[in-house]
Amino acid sequence: MIMDTQLASLFTAGALIIIGIFAAVFLDNLIKKVIGLAFIGDGANLFLIAMGYKPGGIVYIYLPGMARDWFAQNAAYPLPFALVLTSIVIGASTMAVMLGIIMVLYKKHGSLRASKVLGE
Amino acid sequence: MNLLIPLMIIVPIICALFLNLLHKKDRTIKVIAILLALTLPLLPLLASYGVHFFGGYEPLTQNPTLSAGLPSLITGTALNTFHPAITYSFQEAQKLFLFILGLVAFLAILVSLFETRRPSGVYGFMMFMGVAAVSALILTDDIFNFYVFFEIAALATVGVVLVSQVKGNYETALKYMILGSIASPLLLLGIALLLGVTGNVNITDIIASLKSGVVDPQNPVILMACGLIVFGWLYGSGLPPFHTIKSAIYSKALPHGAALLQAFSVFTFIALGIIILRIFSYLPLSQMVIIGVSLLAMILGITMAILQTDLKRMIGFLAVGELGYIGLGLGLGTALGITAGLFQAVNEIVITAFLFIGFGTIYYQTGESDIRKLGGLMVQNSKVALLVLLAGFAMAGVPPLNAFQSKLLLIQASIQAGLPELGVIMILLSIVTFMTFMKAFHAVYMKPRPLDLEIKNDKIPRVTILALFIFLIVCLVLGLFPQVATDFLQGISTSLAGGIP
Amino acid sequence: MIEYVLMIIIILGSILSLMQRDLLKAAILTGIPGAALAFLYQYLLAPDVALTQAIVGSAIVPVFIALAVYKTRRVED
Repeated sequence: MIMDTQLASLFTAGALIIIGIFAAVFLDNLIKKVIGLAFIGDGANLFLIAMGYKPGGIVYIYLPGMARDWFAQNAAYPLPFALVLTSIVIGASTMAVMLGIIMVLYKKHGSLRASKVLGE
Repeated sequence: MNLLIPLMIIVPIICALFLNLLHKKDRTIKVIAILLALTLPLLPLLASYGVHFFGGYEPLTQNPTLSAGLPSLITGTALNTFHPAITYSFQEAQKLFLFILGLVAFLAILVSLFETRRPSGVYGFMMFMGVAAVSALILTDDIFNFYVFFEIAALATVGVVLVSQVKGNYETALKYMILGSIASPLLLLGIALLLGVTGNVNITDIIASLKSGVVDPQNPVILMACGLIVFGWLYGSGLPPFHTIKSAIYSKALPHGAALLQAFSVFTFIALGIIILRIFSYLPLSQMVIIGVSLLAMILGITMAILQTDLKRMIGFLAVGELGYIGLGLGLGTALGITAGLFQAVNEIVITAFLFIGFGTIYYQTGESDIRKLGGLMVQNSKVALLVLLAGFAMAGVPPLNAFQSKLLLIQASIQAGLPELGVIMILLSIVTFMTFMKAFHAVYMKPRPLDLEIKNDKIPRVTILALFIFLIVCLVLGLFPQVATDFLQGISTSLAGGIP
Repeated sequence: MIEYVLMIIIILGSILSLMQRDLLKAAILTGIPGAALAFLYQYLLAPDVALTQAIVGSAIVPVFIALAVYKTRRVED
């Protein structure tokens, strides 16, 4: 392989963020904008996960019978994973609020086009 | 271990959840909300200084019993000093900030309960949740914890705007959320880069590993992390390019909501600003960026304020412009400058809340905030008009009031740091601020009254006037005895300036 | 090897879902990158995050978006 898994994951995360920003800025449909924003959050999460990955390592769960030193040297770094759990839930709840606002705005304006709804 | 420190976050969260349960029971909500809101300014006064480790996981150096049986691989290296728990640190500066936040929150909630016809649990929920989040932003020493509460504060801001029933609030809230959903993941990305380089999310540990040379401080990744975190900072506090959306947010909230929201953004500004100064102050670019952005915020905010016709929008832009003064103080990087900046932050929060609630009485009486349709309200209540005039004097920096002291300190600091041009700009913009305020004041109170202006509520609640008086007293006390506040800020500014007093 | 396939699925799936004119299709297609991300997290040694992401990314997010589409308008105008 040309790239190792970690680097490839980082590039995937970067691609997701760029796709998301593109969708949020340039697409006119509000639902599409929200989908794009969800991708930005996913990209940031993948980035954090890739930070904690250890090539050829093991999962960071200490099972009885493992040698302590061997575990300490081979386990992946667990801190980013703990953070991502929080971050995923925050992203989902933010998205739910945005979709709720969009539903109200659709009732008011009868359109999902950002240029019509959000323009003054 | 000080149990009152986590309570400063837990009490408002419990208030918020509790109020939400009591939906539609008006009187009960009123009494409970007032009682619980009163604890907000009292808690930081009662708490003693200290550091709180969540879960009780202290650093190994502080707990010899834990480190007794561990191998030297851990106790002999930097691991020994790392903070494994989420750490909240409560020092003098935090005491002052939390007291002011609690005071503004208490008065805003009090006024909101008496000015809205039917106090709703949801509005109280959003206000208390925002207060909890911003208190955590001030206290936390953990940058990921900061991100979590940053998001909660943004959501609470949106919530306060959504329940206001001002025309166009949903559109503005959606715009704010879309921008926020771009900016917050980028802030998270910056935190991820810092975590990747240093392996830590605790700010003290990040600084220790940068200082001790475990991590190369000139690593370009750190520069990129700095850029991303600064971007999140711009969004969270409403500096340019986000100044238009932030002032729109203020104008779409109810006046008491806006008084609280501006306190949220100023505290986000100083909390994240202090973190940026602590971690990245060795980068020569960082201070230039802070000064540049602040100058832009001052000039854009104050000049755009003159052009507005909506009263709340005008004060919103003024509030953004005043952020620039704080930023200049932080950007100077000297101990005097940082003290002056933080003191200005405290003053600005009080004065802007004063102005929002003071001009809010107009909105309460007429339901109108367009200055072209207002006028001649001096007759209705000359007492409030006088108080609002004093608030305007305070914002412009007229001597016996508080902003005079902080602006004087800022100008002294800029001269001391060898940048007297900044002082000149500050004085000029102060004059423009006063002009803008007088324009609004004239249009609302002095100009002859338009014929089609009808008055819905003749009587202003006595509580509102009481709140305005309390703000005036705080302004006077801080103006006559600035040492009351600056003594609290001395410690943090000396440590931020790198130990130079 | 399989992780590279997953990464390609993530990127292609996200682009594909943004290209749909039918918003309901777009909502359901967002589940594909979500589920692929969950599998990728498993390969990146994060099983607990993978579980959360599998639920949130492949079920909750598409259902929320689909609900919003159902309440508003199905075809992009």
